[in-house]
Amino acid sequence: MLHRWLCCLLLACLMPLAALAQARTPLVVEAALDRQVIAPLLAAFERAYPDIALHYHDRSTLEVDRRAREVRPAPDVVISSAMPWQLARVNEGLAQPLVSPAARRWPQWAKWRNEVFGFTFEPIVTVYRLDLVRHMIPPTTHADLHTILTTHQDLLRGRVTTYSPGRSGVGYTLFQQDARYSPRFWDLVAAMGAAEVSLEDNTQAMLDGLTEGKYWVGYNLLGSYAMHWAQTHPEVIVQVPQDYALVMMRMAFVHRDAPHPMAAKAFVDFLLSVEGQRILAGSTPLFSVLPEVIGPYTAQRLRDQVGERLYPIPINASLLAFVDPLRRDAFMARWNREIRILEP
Amino acid sequence: MIVVDGTLKRRLGAWLLATVGVLGAFLLVEAYTSAQRAADRAYDSQLEAAGLTIAEAIQWQDSRPVVEMPAAAFQILATDQQERVFYAILDTTGREVTGNLDGAVTPAWQHAAKAGPVWMTVQHHGTPIRLHGRELTSAGWESLDPVQIWVGHTLSGREALAGDLFVRTLTRFLAMVLVAGLLMLLAIRTALGPVRRLRQLLRQRDADDVRPLHAHVPGELYDMAETLNALFARQREGRDALLRFTADASHQLKTPLAGLQSTSELALQSEQPDEWRHALETVHDSAARTSRLAGQLLSLARLRHASEGGRDTVDLAAVLRDTLMEWAERDAAQHHDLGLAPLPEGPVYIQGEPWSLQEMIGNLIDNALRYTPPGSVITLGLERQPGTVTLSIEDDGPGVSDDLLGRLHQPFERGGRQDTQGSGLGLAIVDSIARRHDARLDVHNAPGHGLRIDIRFPALPKET
Repeated sequence: MLHRWLCCLLLACLMPLAALAQARTPLVVEAALDRQVIAPLLAAFERAYPDIALHYHDRSTLEVDRRAREVRPAPDVVISSAMPWQLARVNEGLAQPLVSPAARRWPQWAKWRNEVFGFTFEPIVTVYRLDLVRHMIPPTTHADLHTILTTHQDLLRGRVTTYSPGRSGVGYTLFQQDARYSPRFWDLVAAMGAAEVSLEDNTQAMLDGLTEGKYWVGYNLLGSYAMHWAQTHPEVIVQVPQDYALVMMRMAFVHRDAPHPMAAKAFVDFLLSVEGQRILAGSTPLFSVLPEVIGPYTAQRLRDQVGERLYPIPINASLLAFVDPLRRDAFMARWNREIRILEP
Repeated sequence: MIVVDGTLKRRLGAWLLATVGVLGAFLLVEAYTSAQRAADRAYDSQLEAAGLTIAEAIQWQDSRPVVEMPAAAFQILATDQQERVFYAILDTTGREVTGNLDGAVTPAWQHAAKAGPVWMTVQHHGTPIRLHGRELTSAGWESLDPVQIWVGHTLSGREALAGDLFVRTLTRFLAMVLVAGLLMLLAIRTALGPVRRLRQLLRQRDADDVRPLHAHVPGELYDMAETLNALFARQREGRDALLRFTADASHQLKTPLAGLQSTSELALQSEQPDEWRHALETVHDSAARTSRLAGQLLSLARLRHASEGGRDTVDLAAVLRDTLMEWAERDAAQHHDLGLAPLPEGPVYIQGEPWSLQEMIGNLIDNALRYTPPGSVITLGLERQPGTVTLSIEDDGPGVSDDLLGRLHQPFERGGRQDTQGSGLGLAIVDSIARRHDARLDVHNAPGHGLRIDIRFPALPKET
């Protein structure tokens, strides 16, 4: 009789605990990063944290930025490849610092204020179709590209594609960075303009056009997507520029008003952990930042392949200049002028 | 009763602690503010550099300022501490041409920046930031309107630098306190050395050793050593006086006692009752004199060692009159002309003890009666001068030689005379009583001949 009573009491005590375990903490991640690409990492996270219910939303950079700024309740984690916008949000105070061993060990050049972290290492590449090789030597540098655009203008007319700086934050950032490195970039813009370049919103659209045969050459594509695509599409060749190659980093931060800060920090910490980076290097084409991680896609392996000509877009306050409206206006004005300058 | 009231070490230590505490508080406050100022100066110049870099990039196009924001300006603003950065470029109407300050720059600040570059710490969305504003007049083809550049950043770098500077100062200060404390201990040990040596010297002395100290002492201890020496000197004098007094007293008592002995021996050898009677009379007189002598000795000893009794306001004129009247009726005074000079009108008040004043006047009269031949005129008087009251007694006796005048008030001094029955203690008693009343005894030969004794009492400030 007494035993039964005790058992009932024990059950009554355990009931709330069981109920608590059932209620999983939700975690909202707003990301400008294709779900298919990052899927292995998300799966690993859900395995490691079964009590967190992950809601991953894959959106455009501009939408992610808008949601981080305006939508309430705020997302827990914000991930975007639009580096200047991410940094601007952190500078506004929209992020909260992450204190963890992984965050502390994270390379200094790939983080800012311990609040935002660049966790991928994606080279910017030139992609061309095999058709191109039959007519000319494929370009390996920016100068080569400019040369073939001018020497084979008629052949390439309408078959060149690149990002739209007006519609894509990533494209805008890449062109700004290109313009910082060489004034001859504007010659390239003019040459592309003369070749009636098609401006696309994202890398996938350019890759689709290349596979379809609509485009022969694409400039400033995300190497991560392009390399992944090229593995299953042999007509597409990926070329990391040999003079210099920009490197874009996806930046992640925990939102200041995150409704579930503990889960959010666990997620970002997982991105930065050796385990998370190993998944990035082995199962995604996003390239791991950490030098000690080994896999087909690591920053170290990329450096070994293309040499020291990789120029990561720096994660520091200078990015803020790119989102300055006046500077953006001035840049777009020049872009629009240069792209039409060689029109007949 | 000696009560140990802490130690010098502890006292000096407490003072050192207090000094260090007060000075330290001031110093640390100063160090804190100056660290803040230094950090502000260092980072303010970064703000200025960033502002100038932006100013360099401003150009005029279509009547409005156009800036290609230099990326370097943001890096200067962010500093190596990765501060959050804020900036705004305002046109002449105060509109934000570009920036991320969201119109936080108030018209008042804009007005201040017109006069010259300004720096200020303000709250921006709940975060304290440091702002720097400057106005720029640059030439353009169409417009010459001034532009204001505002730049700012968060304060973590300043706080870190100020904290760093402050901790460095604090460390230095604490090290200094430690060294000062150790030196102070050493100094205390050294400074107390002479005191220890003096103590050793005093400890080694015999109980009855009253010789002056011979020691090397620092200036601060000189007074104490000197006081000790003075104390020893007084002890020495006191002991000498006591020895002398005892010797004199024994001698004085011995003479009549010897007389008593010889008289009684002679009488014992005689068979004649007449001689017995005569001897008994002699013994009686001699015993009376000896008794009086012993009484005087006792009163002198009492006067010298009695503590200060209570003093009253005494009418000296009344005391003088009463005592004189009493003496005039005695047998001893019947052969002299004892008189009183005219007294001042009204009472003459001084501070004193009536019994000792009576004793003094009595002794003066007794003295005069004993040391003057019968028929001499003895006149007592009382005069009032500004600040003093003088009691005087004058006779027309033989006087005293000048070299003895100064010694008359010492015990057993009879003015070179052995022919009287006086003990030689009268003036000594008078002198003692005069000292008790802060009065001055002055013995001199009177004009003509005879002796005059003046005793000057301090008068009461207010006489009623």
